[in-house]
Amino acid sequence: MNIILDHWHLLLPLLLGALAVWWLMPVGYQRPRIVGALAGIGALVVLADILTPKSLAAEAAVETVLFYVFALGAIGSAALMVTSSNPVYGALWFALTTLSVCGLFVLQDAPFLAASTIVVYAGAIIVTFLFVIMLAQQAGATNYDGRSRHPVGATFMAFILLGTMLYGLQLAGKDVERIGKNGPSATMSRVTGTRSELTVPAVVDGNAAPVGTLHGLGRALFGDYLFAVEMAGTLLLVASIGAIAMAPRRAQGTL
Amino acid sequence: MNTINGYLAVGAILFTLGGIGFLTRRNLILMILSAELMLHGVSLTLTTFSKLHGNNEGQVFTIFILTVAACEAGLALSLILNLYQKSRSLNIDLWSLFHESDLPDPLSPEERAPRPLPESTYENLPKLTPAGRPLELSRGDRKETATNV
Repeated sequence: MNIILDHWHLLLPLLLGALAVWWLMPVGYQRPRIVGALAGIGALVVLADILTPKSLAAEAAVETVLFYVFALGAIGSAALMVTSSNPVYGALWFALTTLSVCGLFVLQDAPFLAASTIVVYAGAIIVTFLFVIMLAQQAGATNYDGRSRHPVGATFMAFILLGTMLYGLQLAGKDVERIGKNGPSATMSRVTGTRSELTVPAVVDGNAAPVGTLHGLGRALFGDYLFAVEMAGTLLLVASIGAIAMAPRRAQGTL
Repeated sequence: MNTINGYLAVGAILFTLGGIGFLTRRNLILMILSAELMLHGVSLTLTTFSKLHGNNEGQVFTIFILTVAACEAGLALSLILNLYQKSRSLNIDLWSLFHESDLPDPLSPEERAPRPLPESTYENLPKLTPAGRPLELSRGDRKETATNV
């Protein structure tokens, strides 16, 4: 009982979120969607209360507001994508999720990544998926889209996984906070210590490029990770050859 | 109490929602899209780590994830089109006949959707090779060997 009381701020949004996702799942008949929407909003409100930093500096307030807008967009449209019974709407909700995630990328000092993700996902992948849906979709709602498979079990297991992940993040956050109390230098040395353990320095000359700029990213990509880039290019080539080989073809001489 | 990094939490939630979608949806395309949603969650987490550590490695890794996601989408779409031409449906349950022949069917009869094409079409599809058995035996011979051993 004590454990439940101690962690109610994690358990409550998890329970509400699981209820919302389970309720919104297509089951073959119409459920009032407002119940799921209210449960989901409740879960997000409780979770937002946990995530809010205690002291809001003036310049951090804008970033916090933007973070909430994009996070709400990402989570909400992801939930609607997973639970929509029409695959076309699912693909469009996924495009909205991609845009929100790209907003979060920009907030995390990754503008190049945001641009390339929009180009690759929203520009290429979603459009191709929509083409395939329109090629392959029968008219009207199909029975396999209207009924989800094992909604209770899947939601339960997935939210247990989410609970463990959030609890782990909370423990790690406490760890960082405890080290931070010893002074900012302790945090800095810890961060840089981890950095030197994990990585090869991206820039050979002493003046390090800032994170996420095209300069720094290009130096890291085509300096330290050149072989990986070549491998990725080979992978793209092999995948395109495989896709052409697997794609259904028509009889010779017809279009 | 309020020590969770918000970006990491959003990444975890996106990953979980993608997992739920992959497990519960029966549409081939939506399953692939759910897998892409899980990749989004991981990308967001890696980008956040990149900022926390003050270096570019997380973002470089995200670019590789993007590459693999593009390959995966292309291959998955050609595979889906191929399967659609064979079965005239995007229902994943139609392909549960790939289970091994001596194991029970993963779907109960009332759960199984009616097949849109005549049964003879499905007889000619490739079958999964049974594990731990000689290859060339026909169905009747295999049963006999199993009882002998």
